Amino acid sequence: MSDTFELRMTRLLPATPEQVFDAYTDAEKQKVWFSILDEEPGVVEIEVDLRVGGEQTAVWGPSRDELFRETQVFRVIDRPRRLVTTSTGSDPSGAVMVTEVEVTFEEQGGGTLMSVVQSGFPDAATRDFFQTMAWVGAFDRIEAYLVREFA
Amino acid sequence: MVQQQQLDDHLDRAFGALSDPTRRSILTRLGEGPATLSQLAEPTGMTLTGLSKHVQVLEDADLVTTEKVGRSRQVRLGTERLDDAMQWITFYQRLWERRLDGLEVYFTLQKGTDK
Repeated sequence: MSDTFELRMTRLLPATPEQVFDAYTDAEKQKVWFSILDEEPGVVEIEVDLRVGGEQTAVWGPSRDELFRETQVFRVIDRPRRLVTTSTGSDPSGAVMVTEVEVTFEEQGGGTLMSVVQSGFPDAATRDFFQTMAWVGAFDRIEAYLVREFA
Repeated sequence: MVQQQQLDDHLDRAFGALSDPTRRSILTRLGEGPATLSQLAEPTGMTLTGLSKHVQVLEDADLVTTEKVGRSRQVRLGTERLDDAMQWITFYQRLWERRLDGLEVYFTLQKGTDK
């Protein structure tokens, strides 16, 4: 049984892996495509320091009071094939979630298949299971004791 | 004092719920993931009504939650209906969709201007 959840997404994009990799990692280009679908700009901050150990930060949200921040630290930079980062997300309430992100760029039919795998989300059902089982186990031990003592 | 009393009541209910082997096996099954009442009833050979009573005891003890999904009732471990991890996954799903949508539109527009 795994103790974490992961998120997987893929998209076929009409450009070469080099073009996609560069557009994805370049701060100025990010500002363009990140908010290209917004009626009002929802992104307030983008910073990219593309080197191993460098950070990429995006701050965005529906309003100034509801801003989400995501900081990714680059672990592997393999242009134009692969990017591995550690992502720290924080929501307006101050809750923080640390996950691992792997983005790959594969040439496919003249375009690029961009795949995202984000892993490390703790699985609460699993956590609850172990908590519950600890109780169940305790109960079984008590039961075994009673059987031994009084049977 | 009040808090201690509440905790004791809660523990009494939880241990009472756990004192039954059928209910313990339901919890073990739910450890693998949420299940509908009929999925839980199947391996035990119990009727839905009989099983529902056990699930009700577990729910009263806050060991499981139930939710109506379509025509069946789904049972899962724990008390948090939408737990933290799921909220974050939903949130990131929107973020990545937005990123991929943005890139797609960006390149599609660029392709259009190249021609």
